[in-house]
Amino acid sequence: MAVRNRPRATRLLVVTLVAISLAVITLDYRGGQDGPLAGLGRATLSIVVPMQRAVVTVTRPVGNFFSGLAHLPSLARRNQQLEDEVRSLQAVAASREFTRQQYEDLFGVLQLKTSLDPQSVAALVTGNGVSNFEWSVTIDKGSEAGIAENMPVVTGTADGAMLVGRVTTVSSNAATVQLLIDRNFAVAGVLSGSRANGIVTGQGDEDLQMGQIEKGTTIAGNESVFTQGYCVANLPGLYPPGLLIGQVSRTVPAGSDIEERVSVRPAADFATLEFVLVLKARTDCT
Amino acid sequence: MIRRTVSVVVVILSALLLQSTVFSQVRLLGVKPELMYLVTIVVAILEGPQEGAIVGFAGGMAQDFMLNEPGKGITALTLTLLGYTMGLARQYIVSPSPLLPTALVAAGTAAGTAFYQLVATLLGQLDEPLGYAIKVSLLTAVYGAVLTPILYPLLRRLFEGSRPQRVVRY
Repeated sequence: MAVRNRPRATRLLVVTLVAISLAVITLDYRGGQDGPLAGLGRATLSIVVPMQRAVVTVTRPVGNFFSGLAHLPSLARRNQQLEDEVRSLQAVAASREFTRQQYEDLFGVLQLKTSLDPQSVAALVTGNGVSNFEWSVTIDKGSEAGIAENMPVVTGTADGAMLVGRVTTVSSNAATVQLLIDRNFAVAGVLSGSRANGIVTGQGDEDLQMGQIEKGTTIAGNESVFTQGYCVANLPGLYPPGLLIGQVSRTVPAGSDIEERVSVRPAADFATLEFVLVLKARTDCT
Repeated sequence: MIRRTVSVVVVILSALLLQSTVFSQVRLLGVKPELMYLVTIVVAILEGPQEGAIVGFAGGMAQDFMLNEPGKGITALTLTLLGYTMGLARQYIVSPSPLLPTALVAAGTAAGTAFYQLVATLLGQLDEPLGYAIKVSLLTAVYGAVLTPILYPLLRRLFEGSRPQRVVRY
């Protein structure tokens, strides 16, 4: 008798679990990022990040090794490409030095204040998003370090900052950063050569796309794309101007007569991202 | 019972941590493995539809809340149904082939990720191109099939070791 009732009990259990799942989906859908389930998600993040940090400390060399193996063909190609680039860059370096000196003189004359505020928080990347449909990382600093939602996240060297993404979720000791390559990410960009503006959007594992560029703009290959600062109703944009987004890799058919569109290779290497800086201060509109 | 519950929690937590750390760097043509799908299917094969549904639900909820993105509950719904279905299917497949778990993991992962994408798209939480959706379903299936011969014996040993022993007295 008990054996005959087991399938029925299993079916009842499955129906119950499905009903709970549907209730969670509904509650989350209605509550959004401010609902009770979002709070539970932030609590989960606080618990998981210290464990991720421990796992990453042990496994990062292993992951890097296998990642290197997986990227071996593309690394060889990339190496050749970089060697070519070095040769061409050496040729133009001398003339660029003269231009750089001119730029520095102009910078001093106009007394432009630097766009990057020194107030920033360094954080360790402890993990990546688990889903194949979101491109994010978790970092080991949260609200206790002064991090808040929508703060820009960068990486790079003293030579310049490269945009990584923005903070989307914050718990006391951890935060989630939506990467520049996420399909829901968008940022206003400006081309270094033509000074044309556009909107840069993430495309997952493919290159970024920069659209809404004025029709007829002449865009050079390898032209750099930087974030563009702007103010609307005296409110600044999320990202300070001058953060390197990437380089133009190719022109894309726009599909309309009113804009140009280009692919942009991200400057930051998201596969080996280890440390990032969260910029705390907002750009000033005055 | 306590030992079994602890085993399930450890397996779910390990799968999530590994997927968000090591396996996020070791991608197959840009796609990460779906370890929680693999765990759910293997448990369903070993223990049946009821345990498959429970582990799928628990693992799905853990993954949904770890993501902390809109759309919580969709993975739990997907894995509950996947665990139940694969457990039922296993009862009707009597092949002695050692490749059976690999084939079931591949088929189950492809179907599960396709179902997840369908539900998430219908709820407006996902807006991926069809080509990418198909690529994810196929490559996660291949990735799961590659990992099954490594992880299946480990999971079988763990779950069979924690199975309650029936004591018969004469």
